[in-house]
Amino acid sequence: MGVVVLALAAGFLTYSLSVGGVHMKRGNYEINAKFGEAGSLAPGAAVSVAGVKVGTVSQITLEPKTFLAVAKLSIDPTVKLPSDSTAKITSDSLLGGAHVSIAPGAAMDDIKPGGQIENTQGAVDIFGLIGSVIRPQGGSDAAASSDAPAPDASQPAASY
Amino acid sequence: MAAAEATRQVAPRSLANPVRALGRSTLAAVRMVGSVGVFAVRGVAAALTSPWFLGQLWRQFVAIGFFSLPVVGLTAIFTGAALALNIFTGGGRFNAEQVMPQIVALGITRELGPVLAALMLAGRVSAAIAAEIGAMRATEQIDAMRTLSTDPFRYLVGPRLLAGVLMTPLLTAVADTIGVAGGWLVATRVLDFSSAVYIRNTIDFLQSWDIVSGLIKAAVFGFIVALMGCYHGYNAKGGARGVGRATTHAVVSSAILIFGSDYLLTTLFTHAS
Repeated sequence: MGVVVLALAAGFLTYSLSVGGVHMKRGNYEINAKFGEAGSLAPGAAVSVAGVKVGTVSQITLEPKTFLAVAKLSIDPTVKLPSDSTAKITSDSLLGGAHVSIAPGAAMDDIKPGGQIENTQGAVDIFGLIGSVIRPQGGSDAAASSDAPAPDASQPAASY
Repeated sequence: MAAAEATRQVAPRSLANPVRALGRSTLAAVRMVGSVGVFAVRGVAAALTSPWFLGQLWRQFVAIGFFSLPVVGLTAIFTGAALALNIFTGGGRFNAEQVMPQIVALGITRELGPVLAALMLAGRVSAAIAAEIGAMRATEQIDAMRTLSTDPFRYLVGPRLLAGVLMTPLLTAVADTIGVAGGWLVATRVLDFSSAVYIRNTIDFLQSWDIVSGLIKAAVFGFIVALMGCYHGYNAKGGARGVGRATTHAVVSSAILIFGSDYLLTTLFTHAS
């Protein structure tokens, strides 16, 4: 029994450490997608079409010239994506956990293995959005608060 | 324990004079703390200085370490699985299901891995040690050992203390792994988490201190478990009943000391880091 427990622990450890690298299902084909902002997208995250998982993100790198995040998507070979499909990084919940959802286009030709999705939409920085709502930089709110007397530094901002 | 024994013996008089009973039990408690302390120092001195009884040491390593693996593994896997479900439910109340891997990993490595492994050891090992040494005491084998000029501390207590201190962290490392695996199993099979993302989140999130602090706790717990077993067995009195009482006391006192020292160590670690 002790040996079984040790073997289980060792098996899970090696599996965990191997997942750290690229793990590609045999037979899947790879396409690239460039995003302006990858957010919390990580290798291993799901790729879905209409909410159904069709593959995984196998690698994320930075393209040094354009400063775009390049995600390699490993896709099930039975799913042929039209060449004008749109890839979008969607968060699973408010606190992270992102996946790529692909909205299929209508073009007649498919994306070839090794090809690229042209239409992408990067991750939305939720906290940035919240921040820009509660503490607007410029705009009418900023003008209004600049009218108020100065001791903003010691007092909590009025916009809270 | 000895304190409880003392109060039971003076029970009729304590009704007449509660102050005397209080003083008596306080003295007994203080006396026990002192004798455990002396016992611990003697045991550690015997464990750390040569000559070592290597055969005994090896036997204890196997008995405490290897044969505790099944029970520790089973405890860990079910705890990890239940923890995952509970945290998923709790996280779902504010849309934070996705942080479940991190919280499971933290809870297992910092707290549940060491504490549950040590509690299982308290039930399994502490009782066995107390029964074994207590039976040797009852059948005067310990006195015979002394007559043959073999120091019972060196032969019986030292190897057990060493094995407790060294084996419990190893068992805890296994419990940590299996516990995370339990959470992972539930998350991927029942809750539709992505396996790779779950593991990546766990690995990226855990810091080495989370694991190391758990292992330090485990070493302390291992010492407590072995010490309580040895102490109560060594001081067992009164034949078969005494052995039974020693076993109970060993398990109960090591469990209480594990929880107490767990809180103290956690406070220490929280302020240190």
